[in-house]
Amino acid sequence: MSKIDKEILEHGLTFNRRRFLSTMSLGLGSVALGSLMIPNLLNGGDQDGANFVPGIPHFAPKAKRVIYLFQNGAPSQMETFDYKPKLREMVGQELPPSVRGMQRLTGMTANQASFPLAGSFTNFKQYGQSGAWISDLLPYTSKIVDDLCIVRSMYTEAINHDPALTFLQTGSQQGNRPSMGAWLSYGLGNENKNLPDFAVLLSRGIGNGQGVYSKLWTNGFLDSIHQGVQFSKGEDPVLYLRDPEGMNREERRDMLDNLASLNDLSYKEFGDPEIAAKIKQYEMAYRMQTAVPEVMDVSKEPDDVVKLYGPDCLVPGTYAANCLLARKLSENGVRFVQLYHQGWDQHGNLPFEITSQAKDVDQASAALVTDLKQRGLLDETLVIWGGEFGRTSYSQGKLTADNYGRDHHPRCFSIWMAGGGIKPGTVYGETDELGYNISRNPVHVHDFHATVLHLLGLNHEQLTFKHLGRRYRLTDVAGKVVRDIIS
Amino acid sequence: MGNKVKSIAEQLLIVANIFILFLLIFENRWVVPLWIQPIGRMHPLLLHFPIVLLLLALGMEVFRFKPENSANSFYEKFLSSFWLAGTFTAAITVVMGLFLAKEDGYAGNTLATHKWLGIATLWAGTAIYFFRKAPWYTPTLARIGAAMVAIALLLGGHYGATLTHGENFVSEPLTRNESVPLDKALVFNHVIRPILEQKCVSCHNPEKLKGELSLVNEAALLKGGKSGKLFVAGKPEISLLLQRIHLPNDDKKHMPPVGKAQLTDSEQLLLALWIKSNAMFNKKVIDLPARDSLRLVAANFFQTTESPQDNFDFDAADEETIKKLSNNDRTIAPLSLLSPALSVNLYNKAAYSPEKIQELSELKTQVVSLNLNKLPVKDGDLKAVTQFENLQKLDLNFTDITGKGLLELTGLKQLKTLNISGTKITLAELQASIGKLTNLKSMSVWNTGLTPIDIQKLQKTYKNVAFIAGFKDDGSNPIKLNTPQVKNSSMVFNQELSVKLHHPIRGVEIRYTTDGTAPDSLHSPLFTNQMVLKNSTKIRAKAFKKGWFGSDEVVFDFYKNTYQPDSISLLLPLNRVHQAAGAKSYFDRILGTFNANSPAWANNWTGVRNNDLAIYSEFKKPVLLSSVALRIMEETETGIFPPESVEVWGGNSPSQLKIIGKLKPTMPTKMRAHSLETVTCNIKPQQVSYLKIIAKPLQKIPDWHGSKGRTGLLLVDELFLN
Repeated sequence: MSKIDKEILEHGLTFNRRRFLSTMSLGLGSVALGSLMIPNLLNGGDQDGANFVPGIPHFAPKAKRVIYLFQNGAPSQMETFDYKPKLREMVGQELPPSVRGMQRLTGMTANQASFPLAGSFTNFKQYGQSGAWISDLLPYTSKIVDDLCIVRSMYTEAINHDPALTFLQTGSQQGNRPSMGAWLSYGLGNENKNLPDFAVLLSRGIGNGQGVYSKLWTNGFLDSIHQGVQFSKGEDPVLYLRDPEGMNREERRDMLDNLASLNDLSYKEFGDPEIAAKIKQYEMAYRMQTAVPEVMDVSKEPDDVVKLYGPDCLVPGTYAANCLLARKLSENGVRFVQLYHQGWDQHGNLPFEITSQAKDVDQASAALVTDLKQRGLLDETLVIWGGEFGRTSYSQGKLTADNYGRDHHPRCFSIWMAGGGIKPGTVYGETDELGYNISRNPVHVHDFHATVLHLLGLNHEQLTFKHLGRRYRLTDVAGKVVRDIIS
Repeated sequence: MGNKVKSIAEQLLIVANIFILFLLIFENRWVVPLWIQPIGRMHPLLLHFPIVLLLLALGMEVFRFKPENSANSFYEKFLSSFWLAGTFTAAITVVMGLFLAKEDGYAGNTLATHKWLGIATLWAGTAIYFFRKAPWYTPTLARIGAAMVAIALLLGGHYGATLTHGENFVSEPLTRNESVPLDKALVFNHVIRPILEQKCVSCHNPEKLKGELSLVNEAALLKGGKSGKLFVAGKPEISLLLQRIHLPNDDKKHMPPVGKAQLTDSEQLLLALWIKSNAMFNKKVIDLPARDSLRLVAANFFQTTESPQDNFDFDAADEETIKKLSNNDRTIAPLSLLSPALSVNLYNKAAYSPEKIQELSELKTQVVSLNLNKLPVKDGDLKAVTQFENLQKLDLNFTDITGKGLLELTGLKQLKTLNISGTKITLAELQASIGKLTNLKSMSVWNTGLTPIDIQKLQKTYKNVAFIAGFKDDGSNPIKLNTPQVKNSSMVFNQELSVKLHHPIRGVEIRYTTDGTAPDSLHSPLFTNQMVLKNSTKIRAKAFKKGWFGSDEVVFDFYKNTYQPDSISLLLPLNRVHQAAGAKSYFDRILGTFNANSPAWANNWTGVRNNDLAIYSEFKKPVLLSSVALRIMEETETGIFPPESVEVWGGNSPSQLKIIGKLKPTMPTKMRAHSLETVTCNIKPQQVSYLKIIAKPLQKIPDWHGSKGRTGLLLVDELFLN
């Protein structure tokens, strides 16, 4: 026996001996302790994920797909969905310190000498059966209000963009957890095997912008097949998907087959699951080569559709074009389409900027809901519109007759959801009359995630993945399904 | 223990036994005086002493005959005292128990069993104490006796505990019923009864019957107790049950009694709401109105509404079959983990054929949802669809089907949702088949042969079906077009350029001007792809289409640059921020855009502020030069100004350059919107091989500006030599 062989054998024996001893000493005690702490441990419960098979929902889902229209930068709720006439009455007065309480402010306004309340520059009216108040900045959205469930009592824990955005997308403020879309891809599997489960589309308005990074559509510790695929504007919507000139389809097939057999060899040798994922990704890319151009082709869309979304829907890279693409991707079985529209960070010059931002998104967002509905798809598609937190009811910087700004505000913000099992024509939750604190039915980010998963037929407590010795969930260790907004 | 004490205790034990005998014989003839009652109530307290003492004595008795023990006088003395203490406390406990049993609320078999087991324990124990020294008391007899007393003692204790804690107190956590999902829950059985069972039934059951009241079932609840009926359905305000619950805690009649687990607020609320809504026994929670308070509060008690099983009663398909039939263009997935039902989606136009549907015949029972959206499905293919006897949802949006195909579908009796948006189906065709789809609930008919009036008509006739119409442009709400776009790869050209203007929307007219006037829909020329430019040109364009408002005006600047120098260099440094691609920037045909005042957004601008911009270039062959133009940005707000002066030096050798042109551009006189301009220096046409351009930034920003007196920033992105 050579020296190295002997060492390997030694190592194996030592490992087993140590393991045996440690198991013996801990074994009985940990079983007893475990049964105290995990109720169903001893009677064959579902603790080991027996109740979850990746790719199949726990119970019959209401929604099959999600389109998340993320308004990146955090739109002000006071100028969109949370009507606060009291703020207009009290304009210029100080925010009562009792309302603010121990609230942590950002460095941008913490040193402000005064916190003058700022009313909305724009008017609100009531619309639809539900009588929801919607601002004049959103004329198209106000027409579909009876399809929407407006939640005015969302709240988060983060006070700055990146952690808040990461929190909403991954359930954790630090980025390294899988994004919502990756969890859904893992939980529900793909509908259309020729397209990715999770697609990402970016656009930006002229308002003050905040970055979006690919960590927001990461697969985290899940298999990398669940990662979001960014579709960009221009001739190559998915980068590097096109064959180089001179390579035909047969050659590509041949090359992939050979590559797969090589990869297979090293998979057998090393057993790294990432190799298997890589093989799957190459195959998916091959199929996407025909499926993507078909789905990205907007030239055959009827004129009515163009008018519905607005003329910009044919200009690649705009929010309207992304909404139209989102519908096409979703219609073709993409589980989760994530849009980001940048430019909602109105620290100053709010009236001008938010008007322009609202104009970017209003028509196309409403059109998406209408378009899904007229195809009979709204029942099974959940549409979500919202930002990462709210904005302060006091002005950041100088409050003048026609200009002001608003700082970040995690304590309350408004979002809307439509379709996919959401109770239409409802308004949920309330904030106090100064729009600072939630006065009824608060919805935490974890609750929001639990509810979305529930609509997709997934129990948020059972959708788990074991990593580094513990089971992770999108909702971490919290989250309650908000049943009142489910139809 | 002293002998005197011992003999007193022995006598008392005998007296107690006689007293017990008396109480038992005349059980129905005596009552407990009020002042004695507290003694009775100490039964649950004292009973622990005889249990422990007797069990110890019994244990020691078993080993008493071992030689080492029988020789030990201490063992014997100790054991004897144990026996006496055990039987004596047992006697007192029995007396107290008999007193307590006289109180209200104790009756039934459990009590009787408990009573007689207790008395049997006492008597057997007493007998053993007095006869254990007798010669006939052998070790075997001792063991048998001890075992029997121990059994009686433990059983008696167990039944006593059942009286106070209720049946199944110990095993309850293990046998607790599986939770029922909200949609199957009954108001009484799954909401009200669990509250009563947890908080009331331990005293109010047929065994214990406190206040002659039992709360175990509907009949007993309706019957009420000693104080009358429990409630009047629909009238919570006069219901005894609620009155007792809401009395102050220190009130004698407050229920549950002090010391027992109290009702929570929501439990109290549920009981009140239940009585208010007529105390129903058989209603389901979800049959209550959606906003009903009882329903809303009750719903919180259910963890999950979803049931893993749905209402399909057919068997699941074989997993191997599903696997075999799944491929990249056909996804087959169960609705949920435990559901036998399948949902099938077909994709990929090119791969579609009717066989793709036909092949699923092995799954004909299980397929409940089929998606054929956007596939070239023909009428004939639908015959294959009818094999799915349990089909509930069918998506035929944007397929090639007509009314003939729809007729085929009338066999699908379970069909609830049918999507035919984007097909050519007409009203007459639809009317021929829709009546036969008896289960239909929803149908999307947008973008078909149906007019809005047709759809209204359908909706009136078929009230059970929701017809989804969608958006149809009737021209009543025109919206504004977006502006035309330019498709040329660069706005800079060498000799001539064929202009490519484009609008993304079909059928849009682009009208334009080149003379600086605003274009309009009537007089301005229509853009065709024939337009060729020979000189730098400013095109102003607008888009028009019937049914839309015309677009905003858009301006396109095309620049001609005839000569490209063979080498170019900068004689003086550029601003640190505005480096662009150095000297190469001026002829790279890439133009800058606004927003240049940041390192991240230098956007192809070269800039100077602290020194002149000095560009030097050479031509291998002399060129005939007649103008030099600089493309600049002006943005008064951020202090970006046109150059104060431009000098053009030229010549045929580097050492003999002379000024061949000079220009002082006009300066803005007030704040104005930013713009991209061309500063052109015309010169007398002449041959040059060497060219030097000196542009001086504005040395003193004028007084009207916030930065007055400072030097302006000069930004240049391209040069045009003609």
